[in-house]
Amino acid sequence: MRIGVYVCHCGLNIAGVLEPSSLTEFAKTLPDVEVARDLQFTCSDTGQETIKEDIVEHKLDSVVVAACSPRLHEPTFRRVISEAGLNPFMLEMANIREQCSWVHMDEPPQAQEKAKDLIRMAVAKAALLNPLQGETMPVSRGVLIVGGGVAGIQAALDLADSGLHVYLVERKPTIGGYMALLTDVFPTNDCSICVLAPKMTDVYNHPLITLMTYAEILNIEGSVGRFTVSGVKKARFVDEKLCKGCINECAGVCPVEVPDEYEFGLGKRKAIYMPIPQSVPLIACVDPEACIGCGLCSEACPVDAVKYDQRQEEFRFDVGAIIVATGWQSFDPARKEEYGYGRFRDVITGLQVERLLNAAGPTGGEVVRPSTGEVAKSVAFLQCVGSRDETVGNQYCSRVCCMYALKNAPLIKEKYPDAEVSIHYIDLRAGGEGYEEFYMRAQRLGVNFIRGRVSEVEKVDGHLRVNYEDTLLGGFRSKPYDLVVLSAGLEANKEADVIGNLLGLSKRPDRFFEIAHPKMRPVEAHIDGVFIAGCASGPKEIQVSIAQGEAAAAKSMRLLLRGELTLDPVVAMVDTEKCIGCKLCVETCPSKAISVDKTALVDEAACKGCGTCAAACPVDAIDMRLFSDEQILAQVRAATAVKGQYPFIVGFLCNWCSYAGADLAGTSRIQYPTNMRAIRVMCAGRVDPAFVIEALKGGADGVLISGCRLGECHYSKGNYQAYQRVQVLRGVLEKVGINPGRVKIVWCAASEGEILAKEVRTFVRELKEMGPVGTELRVLGVPEPPGGDR
Amino acid sequence: MKLAYYPGCVARSTGREYEISTLAVCRALGVELEEIDDWNCCGATHVSNEIVSTALAARNLVRTELPVMASCSICYSRLRAAMIRLKDRKVRERVNEALEVKYEGEKDVEHVIETITKSLGEAEDLEDLVVRPLAGLKAAPYYGCLLTRPGGGIDSPENPSILENLIRTLGAEPTDFRLKMKCCCGPIFMPEEEAAAETLIRILRNAKESGADFVVALCPLCHLMLDANQPLLEKKFGEKIDLPILYVTQMAGLALGLGAEELGLEMNSVSTRSVLEKLEAAEGEGAEKELC
Repeated sequence: MRIGVYVCHCGLNIAGVLEPSSLTEFAKTLPDVEVARDLQFTCSDTGQETIKEDIVEHKLDSVVVAACSPRLHEPTFRRVISEAGLNPFMLEMANIREQCSWVHMDEPPQAQEKAKDLIRMAVAKAALLNPLQGETMPVSRGVLIVGGGVAGIQAALDLADSGLHVYLVERKPTIGGYMALLTDVFPTNDCSICVLAPKMTDVYNHPLITLMTYAEILNIEGSVGRFTVSGVKKARFVDEKLCKGCINECAGVCPVEVPDEYEFGLGKRKAIYMPIPQSVPLIACVDPEACIGCGLCSEACPVDAVKYDQRQEEFRFDVGAIIVATGWQSFDPARKEEYGYGRFRDVITGLQVERLLNAAGPTGGEVVRPSTGEVAKSVAFLQCVGSRDETVGNQYCSRVCCMYALKNAPLIKEKYPDAEVSIHYIDLRAGGEGYEEFYMRAQRLGVNFIRGRVSEVEKVDGHLRVNYEDTLLGGFRSKPYDLVVLSAGLEANKEADVIGNLLGLSKRPDRFFEIAHPKMRPVEAHIDGVFIAGCASGPKEIQVSIAQGEAAAAKSMRLLLRGELTLDPVVAMVDTEKCIGCKLCVETCPSKAISVDKTALVDEAACKGCGTCAAACPVDAIDMRLFSDEQILAQVRAATAVKGQYPFIVGFLCNWCSYAGADLAGTSRIQYPTNMRAIRVMCAGRVDPAFVIEALKGGADGVLISGCRLGECHYSKGNYQAYQRVQVLRGVLEKVGINPGRVKIVWCAASEGEILAKEVRTFVRELKEMGPVGTELRVLGVPEPPGGDR
Repeated sequence: MKLAYYPGCVARSTGREYEISTLAVCRALGVELEEIDDWNCCGATHVSNEIVSTALAARNLVRTELPVMASCSICYSRLRAAMIRLKDRKVRERVNEALEVKYEGEKDVEHVIETITKSLGEAEDLEDLVVRPLAGLKAAPYYGCLLTRPGGGIDSPENPSILENLIRTLGAEPTDFRLKMKCCCGPIFMPEEEAAAETLIRILRNAKESGADFVVALCPLCHLMLDANQPLLEKKFGEKIDLPILYVTQMAGLALGLGAEELGLEMNSVSTRSVLEKLEAAEGEGAEKELC
């Protein structure tokens, strides 16, 4: 191996504290180093040219750049060396700026020693680097969209318009979702179906959209770029090609009536039915649970479309990406027994009032008391039913209920100016463009706003009474109403569990699907190639659901439009000779990238390279292509080769949070002791106990592992696994007489440079109290471990 | 069936008729009761200190291996609440520091209404037990607040039905009693007498309007508020109520064929004579019918 080392001055940023020329001289003494130079600005054109010329002239195999953080210029130097003909992965950087000269400005001699160690560590790793190729893989240009609500519809149209093939699978006989059933929608009071129906028709007519309604997905295999989806289209008992959608002919003669789920139980439908007048596709459907098989509809149908012998059809297709737009379900308000839903007929839900207000609804748009059929003269809206309520296990705000009550209360007031309409709320949340103005308008229209959670709804002499504490005026009150509307919250759709399980999606404590990052990656799942849009990841209003449908479509296009995928070569690999098929790695992998068939198999397209599996493997059968066991162990040995300081700490920092946090400490010039030699790993979960033991054996007084804050791991749960391993390791250390406090695990976000600095300071102090590694054994009278006193 | 019996303080003071009827009914149902040895307060007197009140309840629970039966809803609720709190390891450790016998695992606690309902439900022939069905009597089921709380217990905390079902099983008819869950105001009677009186008269009026011949109570405090207070309320509001308040065990005892004396009926403040007379009249009618 022929290595070139380049030590950067970075003007005075590095050279103001360290001596690059003497670091260069030091580098020349290291094994395998063919050439070493110090450069004013390594990243400048001159610096880059120097490296390129050396690679050619000295026939270098790998390059070490001792300069700034790899998080800043690793891509730059990878490009530089590849322009000179080297594989881009034959580069290692020693971070002597953010993690050395900038954080040890007052201790140049110690900083100089630390910089030497960092260069020695980088050279040791560089000697073990292997060229890696990012393979390209052809991908399917199809996208599966699960769920035909407004989010799924928008995603389907955007994708199909951009030339990708869409498979839109909907469980119900029509697409449209909840939006198709609402009356006017806030904040502009557009007629909901009027703005949605054209999009539904576009989906039906688009040549690049395969629409499968009344269908269920039963299996999904494969990973990003090449998922295979299979499932069934249930039998409608109506020939889709023949049915003209006239519905009155068949439903008119059907003798069976059942509660209409599309009217939320307020109206009735027949056993042969059309879900809504604007159904897409416009095809009748026979409800096999309700049908008595009398044959009347079949006789009545003018085109003989009713087919009692129709069977379900299986389907199977390949896609490159999947968009989960499975939506939500309503909180069951009967669970709040004190409000009497299900006991008192005049207590209804927000969705039911949508149907009452809808001109196409069961009452033709009249808001009536279900018990009498008379128009309601007084209406109460009760907010937060099943939301912000720990007694039913829902801590979260459902986000849309304030706005839909603020819409429906004025709609009633406009229709019946004499009606008394009140909203009983605990807080009104009207955040959004035009929302607060919408709220003011409801106030102007004379809607009463009463603050305080309602304690109970009771029925006195056939009339509803709402009992509550008015927390603004003070005091308990009771008010009679004709109609009580419960603003039931939104819950995660239970029926989506099947898809969630097939894809291995994780859920938040509120039971909605979890996105890859709560802020920065709003439509990506933890699984590559899977996106989540709309209420599947939490309650959202229509405009946000549409935006998420569009975002998920854009993400899918970015992934698939080129027709091929370049895979990141920094992935796990299995030594099948060693593998015992224990499946521990399968459980550990956050990306579901490992399967076991006798021995483990890594799906390189799905693997994200965190390395937690490699740390978990009990027989060391899994290793990483970069950040390999051998490379990290070499870094550990190089770090402890000369124990130039006491206490001496080897650190393992996760790339995404803690290493970035350490860099931030540098850019913020937060000063901390020079005692730690940090090794960058992709995830705290990568840290194999063997690395820690190697460091202690080599004479390190302590080992610091730092990961993302709990719940914020880039790979979802790697930090928890690291924590578990550290706990076990500490137990073992204690048994053999080593102070378990020598191994410490901490959490530090990328924004927390101060925290990282503080943790180093604290650890140095703690280790000073413990004494050099091995002193505890001397007390026990045990011979010291080799290397303990170097 | 054998159960550990937790009497609670009221059983030996203002609620003696509850204990007398409880013991009589259990005997008639063949339920053997073994009083918990050296029992103490259920913890209700110390609810402001969670650890103390939990420890008091726990000390009772650890004194027996048998399932525990309580007739007072307050005791029953405190014992259950303590069991829930004791699932928390920290609370359990803290409480066990004070206990001689440590609280481990789970316990079974039931209210006497459950004991009666279960026994009748398991009976091979109901008529062997319910020898004097309460036909023709209308009973207002009054739950009070604590039988069903904390939630997750024998019935819904907001709209339970266990008492209505028992009333039906015994041959009587439950009335539609809207205020069946309303607080009896026992806890606020001293500091807020006026508010308590207003609420109590509402409850009694509502029970009477529902057409009830009597009210069924499950808790000695509810009973005290509705029964012992009734003459005072009548005076204060200047109206006649005269509504007997029977403990659930007294009602069940009548149906099981027990006599007024065995059930301590003469110890109630509001005379229960009207109930007995109506029952006898109905029986007479039944007997006449049989003769014809």
